[in-house]
Amino acid sequence: MILDMVRVQVVGLKPHAEKVIASLHRFGGMQIDDIHDIPDVTVRAFYVPEKIRARHEEISLLIASINGLTDLFSTLQKTEEEKQTQLLPEERVEYIHKQVTDLVAQVQYLNNRNKTLQDELVSLSRYIHLLEAISDAVPQASVKSGNAALRALVPASQMHHMQLLAQQLKMLTRGKFELITVKISESVNAMVGIFPLELTDQVETFIKNEKITQLILPEEYTYLQTDEALRHIRNKVEHNHQELDENDLRLKRLARTWLNKLKTWGMVCQDQLDEMDAIAKLGETEYTFIAMGWVPAEKLEGFRQLLGGQFRNEVMVHVLKVPTELQGSIPVAMRNPGALQPFEDFVRLRAVPRYSDIDPTSLVAVFMPLFFGMMVGDVGYGLLMLLISILVLRGREIKGLIGSFLKVMRVGALWSILFGIIFGEYFGTLGEVIGIPPLWLSRSEAGNIGTFIIMALAVGAGHILLGLAIGIWMAVLHRSRSEIMERMGMFMGLLGVIFVTLALTRYVWHGFLPLGWATLAVGLVVLAVSFGKTGIFLGPLEFVGMIGNVLSYLRITALGLASVFLAKVANDMGGMLGSAVAGLIIALLIHALNLFMGMLSPTIQSMRLQYVEFFRKFFVGGQAAFKPFRRRVPLPSDLPKQQPL
Amino acid sequence: MEQAIIALAAALAISVTAMATAIAQKAIGSAGVGAIAEKPEIVGAIIILVALPETLVILGFAVAAIILLAG
Repeated sequence: MILDMVRVQVVGLKPHAEKVIASLHRFGGMQIDDIHDIPDVTVRAFYVPEKIRARHEEISLLIASINGLTDLFSTLQKTEEEKQTQLLPEERVEYIHKQVTDLVAQVQYLNNRNKTLQDELVSLSRYIHLLEAISDAVPQASVKSGNAALRALVPASQMHHMQLLAQQLKMLTRGKFELITVKISESVNAMVGIFPLELTDQVETFIKNEKITQLILPEEYTYLQTDEALRHIRNKVEHNHQELDENDLRLKRLARTWLNKLKTWGMVCQDQLDEMDAIAKLGETEYTFIAMGWVPAEKLEGFRQLLGGQFRNEVMVHVLKVPTELQGSIPVAMRNPGALQPFEDFVRLRAVPRYSDIDPTSLVAVFMPLFFGMMVGDVGYGLLMLLISILVLRGREIKGLIGSFLKVMRVGALWSILFGIIFGEYFGTLGEVIGIPPLWLSRSEAGNIGTFIIMALAVGAGHILLGLAIGIWMAVLHRSRSEIMERMGMFMGLLGVIFVTLALTRYVWHGFLPLGWATLAVGLVVLAVSFGKTGIFLGPLEFVGMIGNVLSYLRITALGLASVFLAKVANDMGGMLGSAVAGLIIALLIHALNLFMGMLSPTIQSMRLQYVEFFRKFFVGGQAAFKPFRRRVPLPSDLPKQQPL
Repeated sequence: MEQAIIALAAALAISVTAMATAIAQKAIGSAGVGAIAEKPEIVGAIIILVALPETLVILGFAVAAIILLAG
């Protein structure tokens, strides 16, 4: 159902502007239009004080911080079920700001620390690789206290020069210098020089003068022997890994504790921003502010009472007449019972209806699951789909298209069971095997295909005639002569085709044949006239298109046959295999595939029949949806008080 | 022999239209996914566009059924 909307103007003394906006936010039933976008209002835009702009910027930054934390915590806490936490009275923006600042500091510290540890690990792993290679080559006898070590990486091509330099060092230290070379890779060698500790200065000066690149270990390992340095570095690596694990655990703990809270706080801050944005949508005169917008007619009285009670005569509500040029801008609010809500989602998926149109939700709620059931038409599959839908939705609210799909499938599954009984299908042909006959006709018998094709065409013709009838009614309401003639022409033409077909096939008395031709001819003429001068071409073209629409309903039969024959293949193949276990597995696999396809394809095809074939006969859509100015999170003061135990 | 030709004709009616539908859906589907990534609110329109070429195979099915039933 599309709710009646009232255009309202709220006028009040300027000092009340912020309080009125806060009250409207809590009321949650008014859509506030931006004064800049309203063509029939000439007042100037409200001046937003600097204090509010600064606050807006501050809260925007806070939201950015919250979003950053939420994104990080969402990656750490994937399994946590999303739920809005209840606000405490103290959880206002200032409190949130303080808490978020603390959290950001903690997270930044942990992230920075992790980065440092990881950088260290990268560089230490390189040293470990080199030192392990060197350590194996250095003789144990040389590793004693009183000796110092010089380590250098040398390109293989320069090893000859290094040998010469080593000889010079030997002379310099009077034979107390020993050089060991280790091949690190094809192009690089490591060189370890061992000499007495007291000759360190002399050796280092020589090295510096000769511009040899030493392998410098981090400061704390520089003067250690290779083995000792290696041991210390390994300890350090282990320690870093431990600290990284601890930090990850701390981050996960923070995510578990704060993720839902942060999401709620994000919405609280966004609510605050919305209030400030709403102020910018107002208009003003010298002493008053003006808010323009829309309220559902049923809430108007409550709206008046709310503002009248709070602000007495200082804030007034005026109901305005909607000018013709604004008819297309009236926001559309739909309201349907809970059971029809998923079908409303599917209507919205196509488009929000026009304000002056009918809400097709209830029609979709009848025909979408009906067509789904006609296509699947199997008791076994229907029961499984019902079970899947119930189990998945049990105890949880799945939002979005998936949730709507599951709810629609639940109704479709019931129709599938009903049509399954009519067609005698229990996991395909298993019903026949155990002796359950169809109530009407079996789809698995080739001789019945013609009947099922006629059934699908009859359903299609009926559905399209209904769409055209609604379209004619809507056109009458809109007083659009061309639309009335176009839809009437199609309606009569289709009716004529049905009469002619029935008379020719002797389903009705042959005497109806002239009546059928006459209705068809009149329909075509009316249709052609509705298009004006080009009607002679466009009229027949449109009519052929509509016949194509009717033929499109053959997909009901096509998908049904595909489903039943795949199920038959599953049963037959299972029976053909020698082993009972192998046969059962093959049959189950093919049935599972058929079930999966049976859940998806009929939904899409059924949806298409609504959107393309049915809706086009009466539904235009495309108007903006009603977006009430309402809080995302209720304030603690607005929540119903808990009764004492 | 005659039955074989009838079966072949029916199979052709379905298979050629199915291939034509697949080619059309491939192009529409890939473009549609790109468009949905840019504007998620047009998902309804894209579903319609993707489902439109299926009329071809449905008509193929109708022709195949007529061939089989008439034969």
